[in-house]
Amino acid sequence: MSTRPFASILDSLTRQRWVTAALVVSERDGIVVESNLQIGQSGDRVAALAASLYRKARLSAQAAGLGAVSFMQLEAPGGRICAVGGGDLVLVVVAEPAVNVGLVRVELLRAVGELLAAGGEVA
Amino acid sequence: MADDVRRLSDELARDPGSRVFVPLGEALRRQGQLDLALKVTLRGLERHPHFADGHDLLARISVDRSDLEKAFDEWDMVLRLVPGHLGALKGMGFVCFQQGRLAQAEEYLSAAAAQGDGDEQVASALEHVRDARREVAELPRDPSRLPAGTTHDPRFLFADVLSEAEQTALLLDRDGLVMAGAYVAWDGRDVGQEVGAELSGVTDAARRATRHLSLGEWTSIVFETEVAVVAMTPSTNDGLLVLATSRATPLGLVRRLLDRCAERARRWQGGRI
Repeated sequence: MSTRPFASILDSLTRQRWVTAALVVSERDGIVVESNLQIGQSGDRVAALAASLYRKARLSAQAAGLGAVSFMQLEAPGGRICAVGGGDLVLVVVAEPAVNVGLVRVELLRAVGELLAAGGEVA
Repeated sequence: MADDVRRLSDELARDPGSRVFVPLGEALRRQGQLDLALKVTLRGLERHPHFADGHDLLARISVDRSDLEKAFDEWDMVLRLVPGHLGALKGMGFVCFQQGRLAQAEEYLSAAAAQGDGDEQVASALEHVRDARREVAELPRDPSRLPAGTTHDPRFLFADVLSEAEQTALLLDRDGLVMAGAYVAWDGRDVGQEVGAELSGVTDAARRATRHLSLGEWTSIVFETEVAVVAMTPSTNDGLLVLATSRATPLGLVRRLLDRCAERARRWQGGRI
């Protein structure tokens, strides 16, 4: 079994221009399952916080009867954090402000299927 | 029914290029064999990608599999192939209703009713959708409908900023308690307290995440669900402004609405309203 089951997903995301990090995180406990980070980035903390935000979004949508959350993005002057969920996992991307969010969104939504398939293999 | 499936399967085996995959897929769907029905239909559509009945069947299978977005896309394809296709209009009306997009549901069902064949099912569905729209519209969100002296009821703080019945806004304090606005679900219930409870702590988590990455103070969080787009922005004293719109609302408009609601909230919290 591969020690990096999500490598191809993460590599394809970090190849996108202005994307600085991509992580697969457990939604339940915020633990990093696998990541592509640039040197100096604090992956563990960001993963936990991004998973927490995604979980809150999912639970609030559930409370409001809005159905499943497909895509989430946090915007700040210095960049963005984007996330999609697949099963118990959350795929998180950190990007600079100049990133093409539409492209990242499409890539993330496309990657969800692969995430579920790869997650199923390692489960 | 089992005989039909056997006969149609034999026919398809004899002539894989025939269009018999549609009645076969339909028979399998009716038997509840959805995976098999899907497989047969997808294979048929590979050979006949412009066959409207095939896409119509795929849409109905998708509904049975609870994949409403896929069903909508397939019926949209049917309409491109056969403009005014009654089944597609009915189906898209059904999907929109299920997703709480009542205005669009009414549009599709009205178009179906306009076909003029007196379909009772369409007339009944259209009446149901119009009733639901009336119920949502009659919710007392318009300050002019409030009793005298209650113009500044905080529940209606955003009423005149929001332009459609399917938009709703809520202002939460740092603990997730509702300060103003309402969070009206598609069925008309105010679920503001429940939503607030789940979103409690978002401001703090967002601030910590952006701090760890040196991104500056966060300005907005937007998430998409099956039926809505929800946008949030920080408010005074660690509060949180939440705006929900239908999926049909363009993201640019969502941002404008969020900015307007945020400005309204700031003025209200600053005692200027």
